[in-house]
Amino acid sequence: MSSISELYDVCWEEMRDKLRKWREENYRNSEQIVDVGEELINEHASKLGDDVWIIYEQVMIAALDCSRDDLAWSCLQELKRQFPDSHRVKRLAGMRLEALERYEDANKLYDSILQDDPTNTAARKRKISILQAQGKSSEAIRELNEYLEQFVGDQEAWHELSELYINEHDYAKAAFCLEELMMTNPHNHLYCEQYAEVKYTQGGLENLELARKYFAQALKLNNRNMRALFGLYMSASHIAASPKVSAKVKKDNVKYAAWATSQISRAYQMAGRGKKENKCSVKAVEEMLESMQITMS
Amino acid sequence: MLEDDSGVTKKRTLPLSSLSVSFRSHEMGEVELSCLAYAKMYLHASQFPRCSVNGLLLSSSPAGGAVCITDCVPLLHTHLSLAPITQLALTQVDAWCSQTHQRIMGYYQANACVSDSSPTPCALKIAEKIFEQCNNAVLLMIDGEKMFPGCRVPPIVMYERKDARWALKDKHTIMLRQWEETCSIVNQLFSSGDQALLVDFDSHLDDITKDWTNQKLNAKIMELVSPANGNV
Repeated sequence: MSSISELYDVCWEEMRDKLRKWREENYRNSEQIVDVGEELINEHASKLGDDVWIIYEQVMIAALDCSRDDLAWSCLQELKRQFPDSHRVKRLAGMRLEALERYEDANKLYDSILQDDPTNTAARKRKISILQAQGKSSEAIRELNEYLEQFVGDQEAWHELSELYINEHDYAKAAFCLEELMMTNPHNHLYCEQYAEVKYTQGGLENLELARKYFAQALKLNNRNMRALFGLYMSASHIAASPKVSAKVKKDNVKYAAWATSQISRAYQMAGRGKKENKCSVKAVEEMLESMQITMS
Repeated sequence: MLEDDSGVTKKRTLPLSSLSVSFRSHEMGEVELSCLAYAKMYLHASQFPRCSVNGLLLSSSPAGGAVCITDCVPLLHTHLSLAPITQLALTQVDAWCSQTHQRIMGYYQANACVSDSSPTPCALKIAEKIFEQCNNAVLLMIDGEKMFPGCRVPPIVMYERKDARWALKDKHTIMLRQWEETCSIVNQLFSSGDQALLVDFDSHLDDITKDWTNQKLNAKIMELVSPANGNV
């Protein structure tokens, strides 16, 4: 089997840079990381300098994701040798135990880290992840709430909590988490759009109007967010079709929906250009837009 | 998670196994699952091993005759329980079905937490909606724990509407013709890398040049299906 460097005609520096990019942007493309990282470690470890340790960590975590316990173990050994008393390495050892579903042992390890250092957020988050893996969602939610009381600025935790609430159909609380995220990340179109989706799901005229507003806001921040565009279209259409709204509100929402329709059509026409394989999806959208026009008028 | 003794990464694949499916059961209630539908569901679950995924089951056979799931449309791998995108997807798939003489006759889901393959409230809700339009609708849960090399049974659990609730379907009424061949086809898709061709509705929304009807992948699968086997 040919190596990555042969297959893609890249040198070791490019492989190292790719790994850095994936690390910095928090990609979870574990199979690729394992392929590239394993070769880099095996063939070029000496050239990597101090970077090698963070690469071992990155590759180890990816290896756990791909059930490559052999690779994870060897990375862990290198790290243990270099950093014998490190909490960071201990956490990695815990993650390996989690991957092997040895949750009690993993918890013991995390508890020992927390005894030494009660502010160690990584260990606390791993304990919450274990609860999730075991399907104990209400406990995970409770622990995560307690965590956030102490570490109120942890964006990742707020987002994780919103996901947990969405899974439990507790949309009001999910909305609260997303509001926190929107406050601290006002330019993030994804949070706006997710918030709008939650509001839409809660239903009722007031929530639909809020949903429409936040879909619109998401589009202002990123006009290529298709979910926001479709969301705007659907919320405006539903408001316009509601018997409870005034003539003016109805008129306004018909306008918003019409605008959204034209944007959607345009986007799909551009997408469909020269690509006959997505002809079917383009046609389906056209039909959908047509049929919804009829129900609205 | 898949581990074997050598510690080598195993993709989720199925072995060649001969599953003998009992044909004896009353005519009513038999549901046939085509290779195409099965393969794409399996690929969908494999593509997003850390997420819950879902999709719609389609039939091109006329209503009232034998129930045959001839195709499926993979839908989501994020926020399954949020309404807007699900509604959007249902509407679009509906539109596509009427163009292509198919109908939505079921729903499938694979839970992120593999140890629990029971239908979630969201699954029941969507299945209920489908049942309103199609009175022999089925709900199919993919059992993640059975998606490993060497497993001899199809990793699926089917439910049907009985006495106002969703009841487990007798597995002898679930027909997977050419089971060995289906497994082999899934294996081939993984070894050729074609499993990466699968597009679900979520991925389509991330990039609308991607085709959620999966014409390309469908063609590859049908090529692999031997022509002698007819109704697959």
